[in-house]
Amino acid sequence: MEIRIHGLTRNYYSEGKQIKALDNIDLTIPANKIFTLLGPSGCGKTTLLRCIVGLEVPDGGEIYIGDELVCSSEKKVFVAPESRGLGMVFQTYAIWPHMNVFDNVAYPLQTSKTTQDEIRKKVGKALSFVQLDGFENRPATKLSGGQQQRVALARALVAEPKVILFDEPLSNLDAKLREETRKELRSFLSELQITAVYVTHDRIEALALSDLIAVMRAGKIIEIGDPKKIYFHSDHKFVADFIGRANLIKGKVSEQQGDHAVFSSEIGSIVALNGQGIATGQDAMLCVRPEFIQLAPEQVTHGHNVFKGKMETLIFIGEAYEGEIRIGETLLTTTIEPTANIGEGDTISIAFDPDHCFLLSA
Amino acid sequence: MFKKPTLTTTLIIIVGFLTLCPVIMLLLGSFSKDFVSFGQFTLSKYIEAYTDPDFADILWNTVVFTCGSAILATLLALFLAYVNTRTDLPFKFIFKIISIIPMMIPHILFSVSWALLLNPSNGILNKLFMNLFELKSAVFNIYSLPGMVLVEGLLDLPIAYLIIAPAMSAFDVSLEESSKVCGASNLRTLFKVTLPVLRPAILASAILVVVRSLASFAVPSVIGMPGRIYVLSTHIYRNISSGFAADFGKAAAIGMSALAASITLIYIYRYLTSESGKFVTISSRGFKPTLIKLKKAKYPVFVIVGLLSFVLILLPVLVLFYTSMLPYSMPPSSRAFAMMSWQNWVEVLADPISLLSLKNSLFLGVVGATLGTILSIFVSYVIVKIRSTASGILESLSFLSFSFPGIVIGVGFMWFFVRTPLYGTITALLIGYIATYLPYGIRPISSAFVQIHSHLEESSRVCGASPFYTLRRIVIPLLIPGMVSGWILMATMFLRELTLSVVLSRPGTEVLAVQILHFAEDGLWGKLSALGIIMIFISSSLVIAATVIGSKMTKMGVVEK
Repeated sequence: MEIRIHGLTRNYYSEGKQIKALDNIDLTIPANKIFTLLGPSGCGKTTLLRCIVGLEVPDGGEIYIGDELVCSSEKKVFVAPESRGLGMVFQTYAIWPHMNVFDNVAYPLQTSKTTQDEIRKKVGKALSFVQLDGFENRPATKLSGGQQQRVALARALVAEPKVILFDEPLSNLDAKLREETRKELRSFLSELQITAVYVTHDRIEALALSDLIAVMRAGKIIEIGDPKKIYFHSDHKFVADFIGRANLIKGKVSEQQGDHAVFSSEIGSIVALNGQGIATGQDAMLCVRPEFIQLAPEQVTHGHNVFKGKMETLIFIGEAYEGEIRIGETLLTTTIEPTANIGEGDTISIAFDPDHCFLLSA
Repeated sequence: MFKKPTLTTTLIIIVGFLTLCPVIMLLLGSFSKDFVSFGQFTLSKYIEAYTDPDFADILWNTVVFTCGSAILATLLALFLAYVNTRTDLPFKFIFKIISIIPMMIPHILFSVSWALLLNPSNGILNKLFMNLFELKSAVFNIYSLPGMVLVEGLLDLPIAYLIIAPAMSAFDVSLEESSKVCGASNLRTLFKVTLPVLRPAILASAILVVVRSLASFAVPSVIGMPGRIYVLSTHIYRNISSGFAADFGKAAAIGMSALAASITLIYIYRYLTSESGKFVTISSRGFKPTLIKLKKAKYPVFVIVGLLSFVLILLPVLVLFYTSMLPYSMPPSSRAFAMMSWQNWVEVLADPISLLSLKNSLFLGVVGATLGTILSIFVSYVIVKIRSTASGILESLSFLSFSFPGIVIGVGFMWFFVRTPLYGTITALLIGYIATYLPYGIRPISSAFVQIHSHLEESSRVCGASPFYTLRRIVIPLLIPGMVSGWILMATMFLRELTLSVVLSRPGTEVLAVQILHFAEDGLWGKLSALGIIMIFISSSLVIAATVIGSKMTKMGVVEK
């Protein structure tokens, strides 16, 4: 089910100052996609999610879930959270400690007129979907973090909601479990064909799980796109920097070459993608990710996008070397394959792949 | 439902009245000429009270009594907490019992049982020693300052333990381990690292015991007064209990200094407990401290711990029961056992005043605790869930009475009630009790509220539950444990209440503890003991009943299948 948001605004007042948690947001979340709201803490992503679910009352704007208007301050419409028919997984999971697993999962069905038989059948189905068969009578306090997370998911799914919302559901798990649960969640959600709105500040989680990512900052949505678009060709410096490690180099566009442009920078001229069509003579920023700075074969010391530099630091981290290369005043971070035969202080040649470095308007 | 600001304001008015009324009346009373004509400003009561030649002695006794009890209780609590958390002593469940059960034995009965054991004329232990070693005079005299310190210190041991034990177990053991790695012995580590780091908790415990012994009336009246050793609380009592010459103005003037000392100490206590976070480091890594192996020392340590729990729990009950069966006090012998009968029990149960006090105390315990719990629920809700300036005021107000000595507050209320039709009624006692013991209800209930994370309620709403359904199935079942412990605390406190009651209780509104005090003053030890055992039995039954009902109600949140 599609969610449409128009002009959504929410202000907070703290110590006499007004903080715009949501600043006039327009957004359409397409049906049956995993849609992620990504951003640093305090960017308003959780507030937006809580407005959709009805736990927060916006100061202005409208929200439609499907064709139903659930919230509009102008038209004085506010549908209470219990009447919106959504499912939600909270950051703390919010598993009720005084109930066992069955009662936790059955709760959404018990609030509506569902027969005992039906409840038992649906709870069983939901629990087996999250691979917790046989846990019905386990007290909620006797569950591990991962199990609690699954109970929360089963509870959110049991009433077959139109939309399911996630508020940083993996942030309370340890690193290894987080990775496993992320994979599981991905397969659960793609199996279900359901609209999912997912809030996170973890870029890897966002890239791995989402069909679409919306990056937020200071109450505004900066950019929406699929994970590859956001990672490889984001339109904004903030997004490029937030979604992954990035080397940003200042300079000017000096010549257009079809999709590409020649960019003159402090380290020399670089051919790069110019997806935004920045005009010749304009100031711009070049973004190149560490994994796309490659060691050039030794004999190649000249040519397009080849530069000489000095290996300033080199740290072995197992799957790769993490290094810093100095070219004049500029320091570039890079990852180098772990078998490379180089050391700190070596002079090396590096090459930028013109298709994997891109220009951003400064 | 109330609108939220109105609820907060209403509560501020109610709690403000309950806590500030006695203080203001006490202040006004201390400057008034006499009890009936109010408001004629005079300093004469202060001059009279503080130029009394006995006053210096009373002050000195008070200082020795309170500080002595604080040192004794804190040292014992430190020892118990250390043995419990750091050594491999067997039967550790004893520590839980030591920390909880003595609260069920009323202070006045505990004091009486020691008087029965160690009084110089016919104390059971004294007589035993005299017979055993053929001595001419008694070995111990409980009616002395050291005797008072001993009994009060033991009485306040559970409170001191409840403060020190959590700090001891939250202590980051790596601090100790690094000391040992540096070459220090266990003992050196204890004195150079463990105790200094625990300093805030130790100080907090000592200060709280000083405050409680300053307010204590049971020990000074049962043990101090027969030996003519007066402290502030008994000095106040002496001034208002002497029949028609009662001087409530002088009592108020003396009370002002006890109240000021108490409030200052509680202020320091709260400062220390909020500071203590800086010292006691809680490590999130779940390292269990390596237990010190006691080896051969195990047996003496176990004997000490066992003796302490015997002295704290079993001994008072045994002594009381033994005495209740005898016509007069005597050491155990074949003659004593031959003379045993239920005579005292029969007489007590036929005594109209004892029965009335039983009825009154039961009413105050059940009704008072219920009203107190209801008020505590609203106050806790506002303090925890509505965070505003007004709720901050309410919080400070509601914890103020924690520092009030009962007898002083009783005098303050007396100045108030004498001007209302409530004077001499059971309602006066009810209001006084709730005002004085409100913090005991608020504390467990507000911590229950803190534990209900807002996500637990919100998640219920998203699951399709209305606010009312959420209240019934999520909020109330989660609050019940806190409500039950609040109710139990208040009910047991009310059932045994002495310090406030000795002032407010009038003919017709006798309560158990006051009746027991009268028996003690008249030397009717047998009847006293019988009534005391009945009192312990009732308060234990209330605790059990409340626990059972509480666990039934917790299951309310689960839908019957």
